[in-house]
Parts: sequence; C-alpha cells; structure tokens
Amino acid sequence: MATVIEMKGDYQPFKEEVETTDMALFVRTSDEAMLGWDRQRIVDALIRETYVDLDTAKEIAREVEELIATSKIKMITAPLIRELVDTKLIERGLEQARKMHTRLGMPLYDVDQLILHPNKENANVPHGPEATNLTLAERIKKEYALLSVFSQEIADAHMRGDLHLHDLGFIDRPYCSGQSLEYIKRFGLSLPNSIAMAKPAKHPEVLLAHMVKFAAALQSHFAGAIGWDSINLFFAPYLVGMSDRELEQLAQMMIFEFSQQAVARGGQAIFTDLNLYWEIPKHFENVPAIGPGGELTGKTYSDYSKESQRFAQALFDVYQEGDGSGRPFFFPKPLVHITEKFFQTPGHMDFLHHICEVASEKGNTYFVFDRGETAKISECCRLSFKLDQTDLEDAKQPWKMRYCALQNVTLNLPRIAYLAKGEDAQLFSNIAEFVEMAVKAHLEKKLFIEKLLSLGEKGPLALLAMNRDGSPYLRMPRASFLIGMVGLNELVQIHTGQEMHPSKQAFKFGLKVIAHMKLLVDRFSQRYGMRFVLEQTPAESTAYRFAKLDLKFHSPKSGHIVKGDISKGEVYYTNSTYLNNAAVLNPIERVRQEGLFHPLIEAGALTHIWLGEAKPSKSSLANFVMKTFRLTQNDQIAFSPEFTTCNRCNRTNRGLRSSCAYCGSQDVDGITRITGYFTKVSSWNKGKIGELRNRYRNQAFLKGENDESSGSASLEERPSALRV
Amino acid sequence: MIEIKGFLETSFSDWTGKLCSVLFLPTCNFRCPYCHNHPLIFHPEQYATLSWEDILTRLHSLREWIDGVCITGGEPTCHADLPLLLQKIKRNRFLIKLDTNGSNPQMLEALIEGKEIDFVSMDVKAPLDPFQYSRSTGLPINLKPILESIEILKREKVEYEFRMTVIPGFHREEDIQTLGHQLRVGRRFVLQNFNPENPSDPSLKNIVPYDPSVLKRIEKEVQAIQ
Repeated sequence: MATVIEMKGDYQPFKEEVETTDMALFVRTSDEAMLGWDRQRIVDALIRETYVDLDTAKEIAREVEELIATSKIKMITAPLIRELVDTKLIERGLEQARKMHTRLGMPLYDVDQLILHPNKENANVPHGPEATNLTLAERIKKEYALLSVFSQEIADAHMRGDLHLHDLGFIDRPYCSGQSLEYIKRFGLSLPNSIAMAKPAKHPEVLLAHMVKFAAALQSHFAGAIGWDSINLFFAPYLVGMSDRELEQLAQMMIFEFSQQAVARGGQAIFTDLNLYWEIPKHFENVPAIGPGGELTGKTYSDYSKESQRFAQALFDVYQEGDGSGRPFFFPKPLVHITEKFFQTPGHMDFLHHICEVASEKGNTYFVFDRGETAKISECCRLSFKLDQTDLEDAKQPWKMRYCALQNVTLNLPRIAYLAKGEDAQLFSNIAEFVEMAVKAHLEKKLFIEKLLSLGEKGPLALLAMNRDGSPYLRMPRASFLIGMVGLNELVQIHTGQEMHPSKQAFKFGLKVIAHMKLLVDRFSQRYGMRFVLEQTPAESTAYRFAKLDLKFHSPKSGHIVKGDISKGEVYYTNSTYLNNAAVLNPIERVRQEGLFHPLIEAGALTHIWLGEAKPSKSSLANFVMKTFRLTQNDQIAFSPEFTTCNRCNRTNRGLRSSCAYCGSQDVDGITRITGYFTKVSSWNKGKIGELRNRYRNQAFLKGENDESSGSASLEERPSALRV
Repeated sequence: MIEIKGFLETSFSDWTGKLCSVLFLPTCNFRCPYCHNHPLIFHPEQYATLSWEDILTRLHSLREWIDGVCITGGEPTCHADLPLLLQKIKRNRFLIKLDTNGSNPQMLEALIEGKEIDFVSMDVKAPLDPFQYSRSTGLPINLKPILESIEILKREKVEYEFRMTVIPGFHREEDIQTLGHQLRVGRRFVLQNFNPENPSDPSLKNIVPYDPSVLKRIEKEVQAIQ
C-alpha cells in the first residue's frame, strides 16, 4: 500500500485547542484518491489487527494525533504513524498487540541498494526489475514468516544463526519437488486458473511445450528445484521413427528451453534436473507405456529401449556442444543413474564414455550411483529419494510418482561445538537440542502449508491442490522434511583439535556425529509419523552466514576456525559433511572418505571433484566412475571444470583467467560450479569466493609449494598445473 | 638414488583410459621455452625430496584404484639409475608409463627389451629437421638419438604415443602436417594445446593458444596419416 500522508504546505501551526479533524492532512491511498486525516483509521486498524479493546484504541489514536500535532513534522508517512502507534502499545506493555500490529517493509536505502546492486544470496538470480521484484517480495515474506509462521523460539534461533530456515521468502510454498512426465502425458496441461485447457500432447514438440509450461507453473509453487524422473524413457513412445536429425533438434529444444527460461519467476532460470537412464529402470520394465494423445500404446516401457537410449545420447550431444558461445549449459542438469543394470545393458560403455567426455569438457554430468536394489529419484542439487515399497507400487502408475520436500532446515554444527566447550556429553546433548529445534520448525511450516492447502482449488496453492487422479497433486503424506548441516569439519576441529582429513580419529568422530543425528531424525520420524531425513545442504549462502555470525558471537575462537580470508571478509564453513576444500587430497580419497557419510544421509549426497583447468581423458574418467560405483558407498559425484568466457569475442576458454586468452579483453566472466550448479563467478557471495580460492584442483603435486601460494594466491595467480 | 621431487597421487589425464599416480623427476637435457615444469629443471633444490617408502605406502593404499604409475619430469632418462626405480615399482605390480623426449634411445630400448615399461609417451617437439627441432627445444640438437627412439617405438614392442605440444608462432599448421607425415603412426600421434600460464620463457605468456576446435580438426587430419 503506497500510502503517504502529507501535510499541505501552508498549514497553520497546530495549537492545543485545534480540533485535529481540521488538520490539513491528506492521505494518498493506493486508489489514487486523497483522503483527509482521520484518527478513526488508527482505531479501526487496532481493532482489526490486534486484540486491543476499543477504549484503549481510541486513547492511543488520540495520543498519536496529539503527538503529530505538536511535533511540527513536515511530512508524515503511514509507516511513521504505525510506529508511533506501536510506541504507545509498548508504553502500555501490550507486547503481543505490538507484534500483531507490525508493519513489514524495507528502508528506503535498502530498496535503493537493491534496485541498483545485484543480489548475491542466490547466484541463480540475475539482476533486473523482475529479480528486484522477487527480492522485495521475498524480504516481506521472510519477515512475515519469522513473525507469524514460526514461533519466537524458532525465529530467534534462525536470527542467532543456530540454524537456518531456508527460503523463508518462499514461506508459502513447499521447498522442492520431483515430477513425473506421465502426469502431463496422461492428463494434458490443464492448470487451475488457466484460461485454456490443453488435451494430452500428440507430438513430441507439444509434449515438450507442455513440460516447459508446467515446469514454469511449478516453479512458482515451489521454492527450489524441479526434478523430472526418467525423462528420456518417458519421452520415448513419442520418438518412434524419428530421424537422428529430428531427435537432435528435439534435444536441443529441450535444453535451450530450460536453460533460457530466465523469463519466468524473478528472472530466474528454472532449477531443473533431468534424470536419465541408459537401461529401462527395473520398476518401469513392465509398466504400460503412455504414448501420443495420452493413450496406452499397448506396449510396455521395455519396448522403448532404443528410442530412450537415442534420446539420452542426443541430449548429451547437445551438452557437449555447449551454448552459442561454447559455454556449458547451467540448466537443465543431467543426472545419469548408474546401476547394476546399467552395466548389463548393451552399449553402456560407449554411453559412459560419451557422458564422461561431457563431464571432462563441460562438466554437466552428474553420476548418481544406485547400488543393489535401490531405485532413487533425484530432485534438486543433491536431494534424492530412495523408493520404498509403496513407491514401487506407484511405479505401476508412474504419474503418481510426485514427491516433494516441504522445507529445509540447516544446523550450524560449529556453533554446537563452541557451546559444548570440549565436553562430549554436552556436545551430543546440544546436537539433540538443535535437531529438535529443526523438527519444531518443520512442524510449524507444515501446519502453515496445510492451512493454505486446505483452501483447495480456490486457495493460493490451487495448483498443488488440483486433483486429477484421486489425490491432490502435492501428496502431503509423502512429503519429506530435510534437516541439513553445515561445517561438520569445523565441529570436529573445534571439538577434537583436528580437521577430518588429516586424522583418522577426527574423521571417525565426524562419522559418529552424523550417525547420532541420523538416529535422532529417525526417532522423530517415528514419533510424529513424518519423514525427517538428513540432507547435505548445498548451503550457498548459509556457510557464509554461519561463519560471519560465529565470528561475531564466538570470537576469538572462531577466528581460528572459519575458513577463507578474514581480512577480505571472505569467510565460510565447509559445506555439510565435506572435507576441507583446500586439503591436498586426491580424488580417490575424497570420493572414498566423503562417501562413508553418504549412507547416513538419506536425502542424497554428492562429492565434488574440482578439475580446474585440467581436461582429463574420458576413458580415465569412465574408469574412475566405475571404480567409484564398485569400491565406495558414494552416492553421487560430479566433476567441475572452470571456464572463462569472453563478453567481447564470445569465446570460451578453459580455466579462470583475468583476461580472454583469445582476444585479451578484460571483459570476461568466470564460470564454474558454485554448489550444485554452474554459474558466473561474478555473482557469487563472498563466502563462496573464499572457498573458490581455496579449492584443491588435483594439480599441485608438492604440498609445501601449494600451501605457500594458496594463502595469497588470487584467482588469476593461483598455482597452475606443473605440466608441459 | 634418484630423487623424486613430486608425487601426484591420482591423475585422470596422464594415461588415457587409466587412473595413474605420477612421479616427477628433476632436471632435463632440453630447454624448451614453453616448458611448464621449469622450476623442476632449473631449481630442483626448491622441492623436498620425497621418501620412496612414503610413496610406496600411498601407492599401496590406492592399490584397487590405481592402474599404474606415470614417470615424468624433467627428463626421466637423464638419470642413469632410472631402471632401478622402475624395477622397484614393477616389483609392486604396478603398470608403468614413461614420459620421455627420446634423447636416450639406449636406455629406452633396454627398458622395452627388459619389459620394464608398459607404455611410452614420447614428446616430439617439431618437424624432424635440426633447425626446427633446436628452435623448439632451446638447444642445438643432434637429431640422431631422437630418430632412433622413434624407430624403436615404431617396432611396436610396447604401447606408445607421440605427443606434440602445439605453440602458435613455433608451429604452423603445415609443420604439424609435416611431422605427421614423418611419423606416420595414425592415432598414436596426439596433439596437446599450449598453456600460456607460466612458461619457461616469460615472453611466451602473451601467445594465444590454438582454438581447441581448430586443434581437434588438425589432430583428426594428422591422425588419418598412416
């Protein structure tokens, strides 16, 4: 409400006896009308918004009016009046009423900054009017969430940095989700509140259009990622008889559509995951295939192996090519599931080499390891779900396979260790306390979302409440509640005096902490009949936020603990259960050791291998991927190269450089993975920049030399491979 | 005993298709201006010598993963006791890849005959004429041992490749073609792009490397030469 109350220029100074209704005050309302000052509006607001009685309200209104009259203020704004009313509430000790009467909004200076400067909390948000809108809305919803959705205890814990409630600005949406293409294949695109209803697609291009639009609709109902299961397989019945050229065209359309969807919410590309399989996943083998027009083709999915594989290959051809200037595509992310059946399916080695080549050249590929009989669906950066028996029942009707995580709450593990002061018992009891807080936060958010959903197809979450197959689109009973962690490495360092990578004992202690957390969330799951699961929070800005807050509250100890460069403000904690990013640790050890945590982290985990400039051979990578599958418990790996793209000559070069290797222009952008996705380095927050400087890229072979230079090395001077 | 100056536990890029550890040995008999490991050649004393026992322990702990060990430098064949080191590695049942500039054909031949090595990657610096070769290696070069090494490898008693680092200004496209015709080894001739970061001759820093797609095309062409 852009309401400004203005005093007309040449008014008479107020005197005690002047009736305030004569005051030359006008209210500009959002209806673009000028209304006169009326103290009754204060009374109305108090009665409407709080539990204050009428007499008190009237009294407060009169006092505020007097205050304004005597203050000789030249311009009065609506927020000012509200604050004046609030002081009167406080004077009366009406704390609760004051809270209910709070105005949410932002200082002028902040809005100015926001419109002029880019947002660095989420590197996936570009800078522009649409992005600013998103941020403004997020700020208000965040305040709303902290005041009104969460209890004071939880809100305070968030503000203190004991834990982090993710995506508070999206409080009225669930967190992230996994989708089935079968839903739109079967029901067409018919969204609540939309003007036109589309019947099931008959052609692959139309199916793609439906998918993209549906994804955009979902993006505005979820805070985070939208994942698609077995996308190459579900497209397959539409691809019968297509030529290579046509298939390539379709693959190109799909990737460009999703990578250029930066016109949707907040100018943000849709965080899209494409789950791909070389084989026909076991749980879909005998499922009747849905084809053009939403009709059953009379065959099962195992009959579409050829089309499914050709499409997967075509998609990776496009990834390999990169975008118009040879850069890697940031979105959609391809996740290839490596299973026992993968290795039994003909042609798997060629495909493995193909996706490894893409991993080496562009980095896009995620390798998801589903060992034994487990089947998984990956959703967001690393969120995945193991399918249980009921899910496998659902698999017979794949459109039912819709999953979501309602919220993500991350614990500040180093904080727990500072508070425990080296006492084991204290540490573990603190962990329990923090986990319980996270559980409480989940209960509060769940209550709120249920309230919104209960309004059904007429309510704000109509899309999620729509019911086409006997249950609402969002299947609440199947929702997960994520409990993440940041800085296990630092917790161990504070508590035991050693980081996890140099000491076996410290590492074991880290495992013990996570196992304890797992036990706790399992216990809470039983108690509440909800699915609480541990997750490796991507912690793009949380790792920075926690480090900054601990520098404030736990100095001087924290000064020795936080990673990065304190003098530059580039501080961070190590993400989730990762080992120190700077540790000179070969990829084998990293994959092996970090993988030991993965079975405990049910919602999925990931190990990053930073490649830097090096461009490994595809067959060596394939070799590594196979060994990781066979020899470790690691859930998922990704290789991250670095690039410099030139804004002048539009060419892309390997490595992070200060100028273009081709034309020498300084107008360049660095590109690499920030957490679970690629983006421009210029958009990163300070904490992640600090981490980037420290990342060990498997190239410095002499520890001493590396240590020496890593302290002061800037991005352009960091040690490069000693290699002819 | 050879001093080992560097140990990279895992490499994805030094042995195509394999995971290998890399041992770096000091000193070299060439002075290539574009050399990247030049501190290892000019100032080996800057680097601590690593203990063989420590390296062996690490190698064993990576046993299941590591297919082999790559020996590079510097120029490994400068060290008369290189065969001893290789035997020690072999005894622990690791495959061995040797990087060499081909200047010591006697040792190369002996190693191949003794089945001490499983793969040889020989750097070829320029078309095989004394002037061009000397320009690329920074020294007056006697081509005879180089040619001999090429012949030894082409007898195919061991897996091998010829590797050329391509520097614009040093190597024109036709130079690469010429060398391709001189070698005639098809896909065993591989090209590697120049990396302008920290070359031995700092003036080369400003040289713009070949566009990777161009280099890929040239490589395809020269690999067609049998």
